[in-house]
Amino acid sequence: MYVSNLSLRDFRNYRRLDLELASSTTLLYGVNAAGKTSLLEALYYLATTRSPRSSSDRELVNWQAEGEAGALPFARIAADVQQAHARTRLEVLIQLRADESSTQRPQLRPQGSAQKLIRINRKPVRALDLVGQLRVVLFTPADLVLVYGSPAERRRYLDITLSQLDPHYVRTLAQYNKLLQQRNSLLRAWRERRRPLRGIDDELGYWDNELTAAGGYVLAERLRAVADLNTIAGTLYDTITGSGQQLAIGYDSSFERPTDTIEGAALSQRMLQSLRALRRDEVQRGQTLIGPHRDDLTFAVGGINLGIYGSRGQQRSVALALKLGESRLMYERSGDMPVLLLDDVLSELDMQRRKHVLSSIRHTGQQTLVTATDLSDFEPDFLQQAHHLRVENGQIFAL
Amino acid sequence: MRPAYSERPQLVVEPVARLIEEFSRLPGIGPKTASRLTFFLLRAEPELAHGLAQALHDLKDQVRLCQRCFNITVEEFCPICLEPSRDQSVICVVEEPLDLLAIERTGAYRGLYHVLHGHIAPLDGVYREHLKIDELIARLRTEAVDEVILATNPNTEGEATAYLILKDLVPLGVRATRLARGLPTGGDLEWADIDTLGAALEGRREL
Ligand SMILES: [Zn+2]
Repeated sequence: MYVSNLSLRDFRNYRRLDLELASSTTLLYGVNAAGKTSLLEALYYLATTRSPRSSSDRELVNWQAEGEAGALPFARIAADVQQAHARTRLEVLIQLRADESSTQRPQLRPQGSAQKLIRINRKPVRALDLVGQLRVVLFTPADLVLVYGSPAERRRYLDITLSQLDPHYVRTLAQYNKLLQQRNSLLRAWRERRRPLRGIDDELGYWDNELTAAGGYVLAERLRAVADLNTIAGTLYDTITGSGQQLAIGYDSSFERPTDTIEGAALSQRMLQSLRALRRDEVQRGQTLIGPHRDDLTFAVGGINLGIYGSRGQQRSVALALKLGESRLMYERSGDMPVLLLDDVLSELDMQRRKHVLSSIRHTGQQTLVTATDLSDFEPDFLQQAHHLRVENGQIFAL
Repeated sequence: MRPAYSERPQLVVEPVARLIEEFSRLPGIGPKTASRLTFFLLRAEPELAHGLAQALHDLKDQVRLCQRCFNITVEEFCPICLEPSRDQSVICVVEEPLDLLAIERTGAYRGLYHVLHGHIAPLDGVYREHLKIDELIARLRTEAVDEVILATNPNTEGEATAYLILKDLVPLGVRATRLARGLPTGGDLEWADIDTLGAALEGRREL
């Protein structure tokens, strides 16, 4: 798949943009803060309904944006996604909310300061329906935290990959997180002694059943992805480093899972048993102690954990293998190549890794957007084949 | 430091500002709608405002909950509990009085009700003790009931509520049923169309 047209309105530093994109490689270059990354961010947002770099949607709306006819200011991202036999129009409107006044009912939970309106082919849909319509893989210098950062980063990597591939995964994961919040609220009320402890098994029963049903499925899908990634990324690591060594990706479960199966129902069953055995601890801590939200990935080469003992170079190779592996996994599972977004990653890489990335892009003919501040990072024949766009102050100039 | 605008003389006189503020507390009403309603009442005949004030007053003053089923009523018991022809052996458990009205509109049900006034939602601080569950159990101990229909909404909170009540019904040996699937999942009974709701009631399944 590829994006044939991207249009932005009041998104970050873009007031208005209407951009045709080539189905092959496009090089976006310009000085820092010109708006190169924002362009990739817009595509990432269309693919995942969230920004890779900011937690608040409010920041995405240009500060000078004005609403029409008294409406509140908004940002708009729209793109045409071209697939073998179909073209899909994706559209997200991020609209600021009026400031909540003090007269609001206190029991209303604080709402985000921006709301999203989403349309597919001009038809309004829910955010979850958008995920997977456009598949992207984003490479940034921050990918290194995948290897040495917190477990949440690694869970996010798996979740974003699987969510883009499988509409059922993204829905089940959302359901899981909602159930988790409800269950944690229940546990917290007991920990804080706001409620009597009688009937605790009955009160948790429903949440236990539902949480483990969703959790077993999420876990099964993650384990299946890790098995595939071991085959794909394991070898990629060898190619990137030329070390003759394979990368082994491990999945660390927060509870002891059965050794003979990765089938969802069996995992749910085991998770349920483990939850019940943890009653006292969970009430004491006021939270759900096991499940996919507590799991982690490990990366090892030759039995050495690279997250802890790896050199920066090795860690960079792992991050790169994971990202290229993500792209390959999406292709193998969907039969369609995702759009690659490379945000200023090449300058971080040494010659050999850079060469590997560029050649793997060139040979696939996959749509790729590369940002750069310095063209000397690229080899002449790469520069010759890529489409060049100069980015300057939220405007784009073709050459 | 006080914000600059509060140092200027107030542009909107106090009774008007107060009504705008009261209206904005209502669900679905923002400051804009609140102002529109207020200025509409300001211009309208006095009878409209006085009638509205009286209706609001009576709402809180006269309406109370049925002693038996917790439906809304102006007497000690609600019209349904007072109707002798209703089947006394079936109780339909609903979350809100509006759900009761939706089921009544189908005309497919002739039994009694029990209104819980909410659903289990730990995230919003709503637990078992905030619902009329103990009251339901007390009723089942004294009334000769054969069947309890758990007609809570077909969403997570509604299912969690039904599950909890079911746990209490088992030791009492009362037959429990749940509305047939086919209602839009995640939705509210209140918004289901009459035919769908009627069919779900007819096709209820044993739990
Ligand atoms: Zn009654």
